Amino acid sequence: MSASLPARHALRLAAVAGLLLAAAVALWWLGSSRIALDRGSDASRHAAHALQALALARGMVLAVLGLRLGAVFGGRVGSLAGLGLLAPAWPVVVLAWSASTAAMAPWLLAEAGLLAGAAALALVGAGLRRAVRPATAELLATALGTLLVAALWFGRGLWAPALA
Amino acid sequence: MLRRLLSTLGAGLVLALGGLAQAAAPPRIDLTVAPAWQGWTRPGRATEIDVRLDADTASRATLDLVAGRQSVRADLDLQPGRTARLQLPIASAETLTLRVGTPDGPVLQRELRLSQSESPLLGSALASGTPLALEGFHTVALTADDLPRSASAYASVDALALDAPTLSALDRRQLVALLAHAAGCGRIVVIQADARTRGLLAGAGGCGGRALMQAGSAAEAGDQLRASLASSLPAALPTAALRELAPRDQRVWSRVATGLALYFAAATLLLVFAPGWPMLLAAALAALAAVPLLHTLRPPSQLLVWSEGESGAPVARYQAWQQFPGVVRERTRAALAPQLASFAQPCEPGQPLQFDLDPGRGQASSVAFETRLFQPVALCYAGSFPVARTVAATPLGDGGHEVHNTGAKAWPAGQWLEGPQVGDLPALAPDARAVVHPAPATPRRDAVLRRALTRTQGEGLAALWPLDLAGVAGAPVESRGWLLVSVPTP
Repeated sequence: MSASLPARHALRLAAVAGLLLAAAVALWWLGSSRIALDRGSDASRHAAHALQALALARGMVLAVLGLRLGAVFGGRVGSLAGLGLLAPAWPVVVLAWSASTAAMAPWLLAEAGLLAGAAALALVGAGLRRAVRPATAELLATALGTLLVAALWFGRGLWAPALA
Repeated sequence: MLRRLLSTLGAGLVLALGGLAQAAAPPRIDLTVAPAWQGWTRPGRATEIDVRLDADTASRATLDLVAGRQSVRADLDLQPGRTARLQLPIASAETLTLRVGTPDGPVLQRELRLSQSESPLLGSALASGTPLALEGFHTVALTADDLPRSASAYASVDALALDAPTLSALDRRQLVALLAHAAGCGRIVVIQADARTRGLLAGAGGCGGRALMQAGSAAEAGDQLRASLASSLPAALPTAALRELAPRDQRVWSRVATGLALYFAAATLLLVFAPGWPMLLAAALAALAAVPLLHTLRPPSQLLVWSEGESGAPVARYQAWQQFPGVVRERTRAALAPQLASFAQPCEPGQPLQFDLDPGRGQASSVAFETRLFQPVALCYAGSFPVARTVAATPLGDGGHEVHNTGAKAWPAGQWLEGPQVGDLPALAPDARAVVHPAPATPRRDAVLRRALTRTQGEGLAALWPLDLAGVAGAPVESRGWLLVSVPTP
């Protein structure tokens, strides 16, 4: 991962974001599972919510970060930043899936989709950088990312049930 | 010449193919199915299905009986000319599906409908005379063969009347199941029992013998059942109360929380000192190692046994609860302790389970179920065991009691319960005495003592001992049990 200093900072920022996000969801999931276990109720619902929260939150951050970093630093740095954002949550995804009743295939597809999305968004950002002036590319990337975030949020009723 | 050779070869081929067809022919299986209690049961209770299989050739067969989300499976060795007979205890359901499969043959399937009564059921197994009738009860007229061979199936009926001819027609397994039901406080009235039968039944009834009655005529039996139904018998401990006796097992949760905390700490350190690929590699490795690590950290199952009896009674009835912790998503198979397996059922009625039946012993040998992380599966057992605790208590002027071991066996140390008060009861040899001065129980008393005080009625006297479960073959390492013996007030 040899990159310029600002790019290294950007990569570290993505990794920190991924780690914080994974830690926050893990904390919420463990806390709600503990309460469910104390009450003798079903803990699988909380695991399913944690999985969906991880997919949604990482997807939303990736939409903004991947496009923008691709537009600023190029496709390679953008892709690596996306990977750094997604990877820290993998152990939490595995454990939460073990506690849920969700099927395995949709979650493998979702993780693969997120990884593919990271690469695609970075490449789109890099394409914008080549197509227009850098300042405009950053602006366009941010606007496009915001649109994607809104689409993910408002369209969650469409994709979330497929993962349940 | 050539024609003769060809015809010889053709005949040989026909013979060979015929032989092959004979060898590959699947066995013809005759299947007869009969539910216990003439097919009557009650919703949510257990019953039993009697299965007979006849095959024309020696073959292995697998038998599956499915009732809702529960199933029973048995592997059988079928021999020609020998009927394989098996009684399968199963949860009550409107429709049961029985499948018999052989390695080569098609699967034989039968649908079986049970009559689920909303009214309480009275089983009337009288060889002579008309069936007994009780107000509010649905009477089912029975023969000796309609009575089940597993004690759990007695849950289908709320009261049972049987006469001496029927009793003498029962086989050994039916008799064992009947006596186990009697020890578990099942309401049974025996009509015109002879001296031998009386001897057999003496002391066999649980709840101080109040549930096992003897009558001279059908009319008297009806009166006795009415009188018995008018007074309540001590109810079995509910599953929720049994579960409360176990300390909350949060070991799996703690291990997952510790594992995640270690992972996040390591990832943070890597992010600070070696950002980039090492952190990504750590995340990937942690994800790959998570499930195998959980496998290795699986805690053993927990077993709790709560038993109750009366001073001097030869049997105590018990309820047991065994919890298998869930760590990963997998199909788990657990062996059942043979002494507990005669009445094993899921504590949650909706829990999917598959019991594997040992045809030789006629009871479940193992159970299979799906587990996942933070989703333990619990099995509930019930039954009775022989006990020898005879206690005599003499009140002393200072508020204490002199406790006397009037039995033939020594006791371990335990607790003495006197109304809301509790005292230490020392270990006593036969015919030994001890003076006990109970004190008001403190709020810090544990769940077991709290439950024992709840079960001791009013100002009644009782003794509570820990059970030694070392003699229970196949019991998990983490097994705990208690015996509460009520003592007659002098």
